[in-house]
Amino acid sequence: MFGRSKRLWKAPNLQSSYDAVIIGGGLHGLAAAYFLASRHGMSSVAVIEKRYVGFGGSGRNTAIVRANQRTQENLPLYKEALDLWPVLTRELDFNLMFHKCGNLNLAHSEAALKAMRIQVASAQYHGIDIHLVDAVECKRLVPLLDISDRPRYPIAGGMFHPPGGIVRHDAVVWGLARGASKLGVHIHQGTEVTGIEVREGRIASVQTDKGKIHTPRVLNAAGGYSADLSSRFMDFPLPISVLTIQAMVTQPLKPLLDHVVSSGAYHVYANQTLKGEIATGAHMDPWPNYTTGTSARYIKHQAEAVTELMPCLKGLKFMRTWAGLADMTPDMAPILDGNDPVQGYYVNCGWGYFGFKSSTVAGKYMAEFMATGECPPILEPFGLRRFERHRLMGETAALMEYSANN
Amino acid sequence: MSLNITCPICGVRNGYEFRYGGEDRGPRPHESTLTPEAWCRYVHLNRSVAGVQREWWVHREGCGLWFRIDRDTRRNMQVREPASDRREEGGE
Repeated sequence: MFGRSKRLWKAPNLQSSYDAVIIGGGLHGLAAAYFLASRHGMSSVAVIEKRYVGFGGSGRNTAIVRANQRTQENLPLYKEALDLWPVLTRELDFNLMFHKCGNLNLAHSEAALKAMRIQVASAQYHGIDIHLVDAVECKRLVPLLDISDRPRYPIAGGMFHPPGGIVRHDAVVWGLARGASKLGVHIHQGTEVTGIEVREGRIASVQTDKGKIHTPRVLNAAGGYSADLSSRFMDFPLPISVLTIQAMVTQPLKPLLDHVVSSGAYHVYANQTLKGEIATGAHMDPWPNYTTGTSARYIKHQAEAVTELMPCLKGLKFMRTWAGLADMTPDMAPILDGNDPVQGYYVNCGWGYFGFKSSTVAGKYMAEFMATGECPPILEPFGLRRFERHRLMGETAALMEYSANN
Repeated sequence: MSLNITCPICGVRNGYEFRYGGEDRGPRPHESTLTPEAWCRYVHLNRSVAGVQREWWVHREGCGLWFRIDRDTRRNMQVREPASDRREEGGE
């Protein structure tokens, strides 16, 4: 409490060579570094971060975790991610503030409820705790909800996913950075990658503004900047559109919203943080962008949607609004790939707005991929070549074309 | 987020009147010589430039014209200077 607090991770000098270089000091990069060091004994690892750890999406998401994706390929990954939070809390000896409050996803028509049935069935098949609820049950779970016929889209029911919840995102960044640093990983903040050298089809070195690093493997985990980096330095374009996604919090209230509530029809999600603020968001401006600007029209929309569903929140004030970059793929599934066609070049990107909840498990398996050179079976469906083979995943009902809004 | 776009017919208008039409990837490849890689490149792959890129827009809530502009994606602004390192015209 008194005196200067100690840094959680060390700030070593940049070496001229490492066994692996990870671009991006966000959750995906730090998780990969942590698992490389803790599970595969590879501690000569550098994490290169242009700003500071957790500057990007890792600190800008709304901290919601859940495992109710749509497809057979995605579900096991998200389930394992959910199961990892308590394990990592113990292992990192760091309170990640996992608040297992459950997620309620609302349906506003019979058709939407039927669509949820298949989603629930797929998730249950993978052993995920989730079930359909009717409107009365929704009201019992979240007494704030207006289940009358008054809203434009009345609530028809929903699906409730008890093991989901919220995790303190900064704590995960700090916990992983400290854990990785303890095991010998070098975290270089304020260091920018300026080039990647490939020799005879293999990764040879990474150029940074602080010097050159010789390395046989590079992981591109640069989040919003991963696609720009890949096409600029590797001439390796990715099927990614970078969009700005916005979020905001209200003034703090006493506890009144016990679950994460979301609605596709109103395009909104809301949850009460442990500080008492109602955190809400979901909107993105529909053109590629590297700014993190926010829009008055979405703040207005968010206020309308939240108060339509939960009228007692009328009159609350928004305190803060912010935005982050989402690297969106056409099928809303990530790109996890490596050694194709450049040996030693690995990518972990395209998570869109699902990057937080999946970060630890993606790091775990990417670490295995990088340490062994063999793609773990769970990651096989996520290769980049699925776009060439037209094997896109059905994470959305219809493929996303980010320009389409007609 | 504010964005002004200059439509060749209607002049400077609010960006929300327009629809983004994707990166300028050159002309559609000829189908006779098309490989899966080339098709994937044309359909899906983006250069996602953090900087000036040339891109398509359509004035959806206006005259309906499709046209190309250069925009700095780091500043979210239409710019006059052309995208310097964009792929040469001609495509596959």
